[in-house]
Amino acid sequence: MNRADDTQMDALKVEPPIHDIHQRIGALTRQLHDSLNGLGLTEQLKGSVEELPDAKSRLAYIARLTGDAAEKVLNSVDQAKNLHDEIATETRRIAELIVKDPVGAVARGHVMNFVTHVEQSSKAIDAHLTEIMMAQDFHDLTGQVIARVINLTTNIEEQLVKLLIETAPAVSSKVIPAAHREHALSGPVISTENNPDVVTSQSQVDDLLASLGF
Amino acid sequence: MATELRFLVVDDFSTMRRIVRNLLKESGYAEADEAEDGVAALHKLRSSKFDFVVSDINMPNMNGFQLLAEIKKDEKLKHLPVLMVTAEARKEDIVAAAQQGAAGYIVKPFTKATLEDKVNHILVKVGLK
Repeated sequence: MNRADDTQMDALKVEPPIHDIHQRIGALTRQLHDSLNGLGLTEQLKGSVEELPDAKSRLAYIARLTGDAAEKVLNSVDQAKNLHDEIATETRRIAELIVKDPVGAVARGHVMNFVTHVEQSSKAIDAHLTEIMMAQDFHDLTGQVIARVINLTTNIEEQLVKLLIETAPAVSSKVIPAAHREHALSGPVISTENNPDVVTSQSQVDDLLASLGF
Repeated sequence: MATELRFLVVDDFSTMRRIVRNLLKESGYAEADEAEDGVAALHKLRSSKFDFVVSDINMPNMNGFQLLAEIKKDEKLKHLPVLMVTAEARKEDIVAAAQQGAAGYIVKPFTKATLEDKVNHILVKVGLK
């Protein structure tokens, strides 16, 4: 490489003046703004961007709900397993007593105590199984929330694709169908803070219905 | 003792349908069928006999409000009690459901005791218990 080449390379490395960068960013911003306006996308994008914080809280809601459900299931399994272990231990103990002295085991109440113990433990295990079943309701609630987040990202994607098609050179200006509007129903309540229009418990539902005469 | 009352559980999530059916069974109501949306529910209601409907609201094809309206304008079905079990917790939705003729409203997530209590209360109210 000769001296002339070095000089050329050095010239290329020189950063453009700051006001030039600002001018370029300004031009790009103006172009983007004009394109969005021309396509009628400003309002749509604005709406989607406003929904992004909501999407974040929805994802946090999913994480919380699935975490709670996992916790609930593991706690119930632990308790049910403890009860099950107790039954197994008691069964071995009562079996030994019966083998050693069948009449005495009955006469001293060991067998009856065991039967009562098994009945109570079975009832408690059944309650834990119901808890485990109820914990699965997170699937319905998170499924609804996930669907709404997918809808939001699809909206943004469609709008950006529209923008790309309209602004890219030598690309047909085929119109992409308008983004699907969000369903009128709001789905699970993610946060009740500063939201007086929603109820936060079943008792509030009952009170509201009672106030209407139902 | 299990009664002969027949329930239709309507929800687009199979998990929730199973939960509600199991809870009804635990409460003594073993006779239950299920549908994944309002359209399927209406078809079942018109082709078979049911005594009670437990329905979600937010469903595809036909939502719970539309199903409720269809049931209430059908001479053969309008006597059916419809209990809404939904994640929709807006007061205006609760009021709208009541005004359209829903027999009860439960907000998800709910407990076994809440479902049992509402079902029994409604059954007594409509003279089925």
